[in-house]
Amino acid sequence: MIESALGSFRILDLSSYIAGPYCAKMLADYGADVIKIEPTGTGDVSRQIGPFLNDEPHIEKSLLYFYLNCNKRGISLNLETDDGRNMFLDLIKTSDALIESFPPGYLRDLGLGYKELQKCNPGLVMASITPFGQTGPYRDYAGNDLVYYAMSGMMYASGAYDREPLKHGHPQSYYMGGMIAAYTISAALFARSWSEEGQYIDLSLQECMAAHHHEGATRYAYTGTIERRAPKIGSGSTKGIGFEGIVPAKDGFIGPTTQKGRPAVSFVEYAELLGRTDIVDPKFETRELRNQNALELDDVLLPILKSWGKLDYFNTMMSEGFVAGVVQTPEDLIRCVQLQARNFYTKASHPIIGEIKIPGEMFRLPECPWAFRLPAPLLGQHNQDIYGKEMGYTDAQLDLFKGLHVI
Amino acid sequence: MRGALSGLRVIDSTTMVAMPTAMHIMADMGAEVIKVETHTLFRTEAARLMYADNVPGDQPWNRDGAFNTVQRSKLGLTLNLKIKEGVEAFKDLVRVSDVVVENNRAGTMERLGLGYEELKKIKPDLIYLSNTGFGHTGPWSSYAGIGRMFELTCGLSNFTGYIDEGPRRVGKAFFDLHVGWTAVFAILAALHYRQRTGIGQWIDFAMYQVGVSTMGDVILDFIANGRNGSVMGNRHPYMAPHGVYPCKGNDRWIAIAVENDKQWLALSKIIGQQDWTNRIEFTSMDSRWRNQDELDHYISKWTKSLSDVVLMKILQGQGVPAASVMNSRDILTDPHMRARGFYEMIKHAPETGMGSKLYYGRPWKMSKTPSYVRSPAPKLGEHNELILGDLLGRTANQIADLYELGVAGISPTNPSMYKPPTYEEQLNDGTLEGYDENFNEILGSESND
Repeated sequence: MIESALGSFRILDLSSYIAGPYCAKMLADYGADVIKIEPTGTGDVSRQIGPFLNDEPHIEKSLLYFYLNCNKRGISLNLETDDGRNMFLDLIKTSDALIESFPPGYLRDLGLGYKELQKCNPGLVMASITPFGQTGPYRDYAGNDLVYYAMSGMMYASGAYDREPLKHGHPQSYYMGGMIAAYTISAALFARSWSEEGQYIDLSLQECMAAHHHEGATRYAYTGTIERRAPKIGSGSTKGIGFEGIVPAKDGFIGPTTQKGRPAVSFVEYAELLGRTDIVDPKFETRELRNQNALELDDVLLPILKSWGKLDYFNTMMSEGFVAGVVQTPEDLIRCVQLQARNFYTKASHPIIGEIKIPGEMFRLPECPWAFRLPAPLLGQHNQDIYGKEMGYTDAQLDLFKGLHVI
Repeated sequence: MRGALSGLRVIDSTTMVAMPTAMHIMADMGAEVIKVETHTLFRTEAARLMYADNVPGDQPWNRDGAFNTVQRSKLGLTLNLKIKEGVEAFKDLVRVSDVVVENNRAGTMERLGLGYEELKKIKPDLIYLSNTGFGHTGPWSSYAGIGRMFELTCGLSNFTGYIDEGPRRVGKAFFDLHVGWTAVFAILAALHYRQRTGIGQWIDFAMYQVGVSTMGDVILDFIANGRNGSVMGNRHPYMAPHGVYPCKGNDRWIAIAVENDKQWLALSKIIGQQDWTNRIEFTSMDSRWRNQDELDHYISKWTKSLSDVVLMKILQGQGVPAASVMNSRDILTDPHMRARGFYEMIKHAPETGMGSKLYYGRPWKMSKTPSYVRSPAPKLGEHNELILGDLLGRTANQIADLYELGVAGISPTNPSMYKPPTYEEQLNDGTLEGYDENFNEILGSESND
C-alpha cells in the first residue's frame, strides 16, 4: 500500500457545519485518520441542511454533509456528560490534532479547554474556528457568511455603484476558513517535529474574509482612497473590457477580454477571431481607448457575443491565448472535458445515498496520491469500531452509554 | 522568533497574486523565502493605482502596495533565467533549498532547463509545485490561468449577482487567495511525507480544481436533483431576512442574517413590535422566506434612519447576526481588528521615502510559534549579495560579472511608465467613494515624503 501524505496523524473533528468539516476533509483526503465526533441524536448541523438526495430532508441524505465528510470515520458523543468527557479525554490521548467550532469558552467551561487537554497530551494541536476569534470586543458576536462578507471590505466594493453591496451566492467564507485552518494545523504539526509540543490555534472567520480583501486595505493604507463598487459609467459590462464584464452569450454568460499575454495585443486580432473584422476601428485600438469608448464598444460587441455559444467562445479564445471566462453551471462542471481528463470526479458509494459521483482529487501528490477511502459516516457508524475495538470498551458498557445518551 | 516553518528554505519563482500570497504566508511563518525575479520585466504587474501616497517617486517599482503586501517577509534576488549564468545560479540555489514554487505556463520551466526532472537530479528530495490555471494535462492545459476568470469558470458566478440582472463579479480575482492558501497546504502535506520517507515530489497544481472543489454541494445538487441554481443576490436558500439594508449617512449599509425564529423574535423586539412584525406572513422562517420582498421593504424602511454601527451593536447585543458593511477605512480602524492586532505597522527603509505602512496580518494566531511580518518586501535585487555571495559562495568579482551580463540588476531595464490617475480623476471616474488626505494620521502611519 502506498503511504499517504498525512497518514501518520489522527485528527479529531469536533466541528460542525462547513468550515471545520472542510478543513478536516482536506486532512482526511490526504491521508489523516480523521474521526468525526458528532452530538448524539442530531449529529452535525449540516445534516439538517440541503441539498438533500431527491429533496427529501433526512439526516443521512444531506449532500452538503456527505460532500464535507467523506474519508472520515464517525462517532457520536455527548460532551455534556461525565462519561462522555472521559471518553473524549481518552480519544485526545491518542490524537495529534483537534478541530472545534464551539463559541469561545464553551469547551473550557466543560473542563475541556486547551490547557486541560494538553495535560493529557502535550503534543496536541488544537484549532478553534470561530466567527471573530477568542479575543477582542466582538468575540461573542454572532457570525455567518453574510456577516463576514460585510465586515471584510469586500462586499462594500462589490456590486453596482448605485445599488446595495453584493456578496457571492454561495457561502465561500466557510470554505476559505476551512482551507486556512488546514494549512495552519499542518504547519503546527510540522513545527512539532522540532518543538516536540503542540499548540493552540485561534482562527477567526471574519479575519479570513478581511485577509482576502487585503488589496482594499493596502490601497487605503498606501493612498487614503476608499474604493467603491463598479464604476457608475455605462452598464459595467464591457467597461474596461480587460477586467469587469460578464455578458450574455447564446446559451449563458461569458467573461470576454481582449487581453492576450502581456502586453495586450491589438484589437484587430480579437476581431479576426470573432470573425468580424468589420468592427475594427481606431477608437478601439488600445485598452485606454476601449475604456474611453466603452459604451460604443458595448453597442458593437454585445450583439456579436450574444450570438456565440458560451463554451465555443471560451475555447476559441483560450486556445488562441486570449483570456476568457465562461460562467459554468453545475451541469457544465460535471460535463467538463478538462475535469474528466484530470480524473477529478470519483464514484462514491454510500449505504443510503447509493452510488454518486463526487469532486475528488484537488491536487495530485504523485508519491502519495489522494484516494477515496470512505463515504461520509452514518451518525455513530464507527462507535463500535472505535470505542469497542480500538479503545476497549465492552459491549455492555457501550449499551449502557447508549441508554444514557452518552453515545 | 522561531516560527513554525523556520529552517525551511523556499524558492519563490512566482508572479501576480496567488502564489506570492502562499509564499509570504510561509515566510511570515518563518521559512526563508527567496523571491527570484528578473529586473527585465515589469515588477508591478499587479499594480492597481496604489503607489505609496499616490506618488510613483524615483523608484516606483519599490513603492507599489499590491506588490509590497504579498512580497513581505521574503528575501529578494534578481536572476535573468534567459541567460545561462542565471540558470546556473538558480540551480545552485536549488541545491540548498527545500521547495521550489513557480507559476509559469506549462512547459516554460522545462525549456529553461529548470523543470522538475532536471532539478531532481541535483536535489533528489526537492518539493516542486507548479501552479497553472488548469493543470499540466488535459485539453485545457495550455489555457491561460488568470485569477479573475476562475470565479466564472469554477461556477461561482452562476450564483452571484443581482437577481434582476444576472451574473456579476464579487471581489477582484476571487479564487487567487484561496488557491494560494491551498498551495501552502499542498506544500506542507508534501513536506510531511518527505519528513517520514525522505522522498520529494512534483505537484501539478491547478487553480481550476481548487475553485471547483468549493462547489461540491451544488454539484451534488445537480447530480441528485437536476438543479442548476441561479443568481441569489444577497439572499440565502432558506434564511430570511438575509440581506443588506440602507442606513443613515452616505452609502452606509447594514447586513442582517436571521438564522432562526429565536433571532427573529429578538429582531422584532428591537424593531419595536410594529404591526407588520406580527403579521402572519412573517411568523415562520418558511413564510418569511416566501414573503421576503415585502419583509425586506419593511426592514429597509426601519433601518434607513439609523446608524449602521449603532444598529450592529444593538442587534449583536441581542444575538442577531448583523454587521455594518465596512469599507476599507472602517476595517482598518475597527476596534476589534485593532484589539486583535490584525494589521501590522511595518517600517520601510528610509531611502524608499515610504515611512511606515499598515499591512494585513494572518487570520489566525498560533500560541507557540508566532508569525509576523518579518521584514518589508525586498527592494529589487536587495539581497543579491547576501544570497549570491554569502549563501552560494560567489566572489565579489563573479557577482560583478553577473551584473555586467545582465543576469542580476537592481533597477528595471523596462520600468513601468504608468502614472496613477489623480484622486480627482478617480473620483470622477466613479471608482472611489472618497479619499482622506490625512490617512497617515488616521492610521498612525508616517510618510517620509
